[in-house]
Amino acid sequence: MNGPDRAQERLQARAPEMELIREAQKGSRVAFDALVRQYESQVLRLALHLTGSEHDAEDIYQEAFLKAFRYIGNFRFECSFYTWIYRIVTNLCLDQLRRRKTRKEDQAVLVDHSGDEIDLLASVSDVRSFSNPERELDRKVLGERIQAALSKLTPRERMVFELKHYQGLRLRTIGEMLNTTEETAKNTLFRATKKLRSQLAGCR
Amino acid sequence: MNCEVAHERIVLAAYGELADEQIHELDRHLTTCIECRTEREQLQALKTLAGAHPVQEPNANLVARSRMRLEEALDALPPKRWYERWGDGILNNFARLQAAPVAAALLLVAGLGAGSIGGYEVAQGRAAHTAAGNGAAQTLVKAEAPAAPATQAAVANISSIVRQPNSEMVEVRYNEVVPRQVEGPLDDPAIRQLLMVASEDANSAGIRDDSVGLLAAECRAGHSCNAAGIRDALMVALRYDRNAGVREKALQGLEPYVSEDMRVRDAVLEALLNDSDPRIRTEAINILEPVEADMTVRQVLSTVAASDQSPQIRNVSRQVLRRVPEIQ
Repeated sequence: MNGPDRAQERLQARAPEMELIREAQKGSRVAFDALVRQYESQVLRLALHLTGSEHDAEDIYQEAFLKAFRYIGNFRFECSFYTWIYRIVTNLCLDQLRRRKTRKEDQAVLVDHSGDEIDLLASVSDVRSFSNPERELDRKVLGERIQAALSKLTPRERMVFELKHYQGLRLRTIGEMLNTTEETAKNTLFRATKKLRSQLAGCR
Repeated sequence: MNCEVAHERIVLAAYGELADEQIHELDRHLTTCIECRTEREQLQALKTLAGAHPVQEPNANLVARSRMRLEEALDALPPKRWYERWGDGILNNFARLQAAPVAAALLLVAGLGAGSIGGYEVAQGRAAHTAAGNGAAQTLVKAEAPAAPATQAAVANISSIVRQPNSEMVEVRYNEVVPRQVEGPLDDPAIRQLLMVASEDANSAGIRDDSVGLLAAECRAGHSCNAAGIRDALMVALRYDRNAGVREKALQGLEPYVSEDMRVRDAVLEALLNDSDPRIRTEAINILEPVEADMTVRQVLSTVAASDQSPQIRNVSRQVLRRVPEIQ
């Protein structure tokens, strides 16, 4: 199938959603509710994973959809509604992450019984068999360490890594969502992976 | 290719963002460079480690709680006034016009025309006013409004009051509501439209009750219930109406569609979780019977069975859950 055909198909698939957006722009609550239902799981999933707190995720959900309701009249179909709503959510999440940055940061370095630091990257072969109860690092502790390492990134690096690694979005889309270029998103992802590796590979 | 570029491309390749020809170049470099091969292994290890903090689906309770909070907040927002919607429209149109210079030019010409006519009208008005001030004419009647409100029509609102300087004349601008009556069969689109308006906006619970009752009866009788959004109107009544009787009628009207329409099922599930009236929650359980093996329905039933304040409802939910096989 060639490009124009695919674009046409995408447009047709989006037609009911565009209709809903137009209705919501005219003030229909029913149409807006339908849009909320379409995106609420994705919004909560992203906010929950980024903030690690149901309470914060609930607040972000609330604020994001209230903003969307208030400004849906400004949506001009220049990008997909998905990108538009994600842009709102990522901005709110960035604000939340920035607020957190000012609080005390967790230690990302894992220490063993003798007080030495453990090289997590070197012990990755152990990590692959999480189900073995005899292993020193269980999945929960490791998850917490990953979270701590992620919290050491700048909010923007954290966001790009989240959207790429966990949400599987294209760098081009990520650039659009964060109001930046694909190239900048690439560089940010590179910096994020570098920092994470140095966080997780503490020297003995 | 130097190692610095290779390191960057290793990351892009790991996330499927590298072009095919660049992948080939990178592979050639990796066969000769041990340092870059280690770099790649470390990145793979990082990717594996990051899997220990997986993305989780939000649970049904969190979704329901967030949705309820949002709906309450949206209900509390004042409705947009016509001029706000008009302003939005203008802004939108303006943005579109940026990409349509011809249309912009036409609008400009139209604006100039309207401005000239407006200027002429104002000039005429001023001339008349000056004449009145000189005592040449004692009465000044504005064209937009009659001298007194029509006796039959109620005054909806007063939009402006202006007393003309040095005179007893006052100009009052107002809008009026004229009572109308219409009669027709239930399947008449105009009648249905009015019933739907009544189901949402009427101040009297009795009128909402009558309209929702009639719409629900239409749905239960299978008379094109989806047409013109009747089903949506019933869902709105079920979710938001303050009167339990109205909500109950809406629920009954939605019953035939619970197995085929996911949105209806969502609305009934919300009623089961959140409605303040135990009668409606009980009825919602009965209505959900044809779809009680659905995973979401099972989750909500489990929540209700564990935490509903009414022992009877907890009991009924448990019975339903016991009846249904575990996995469908």
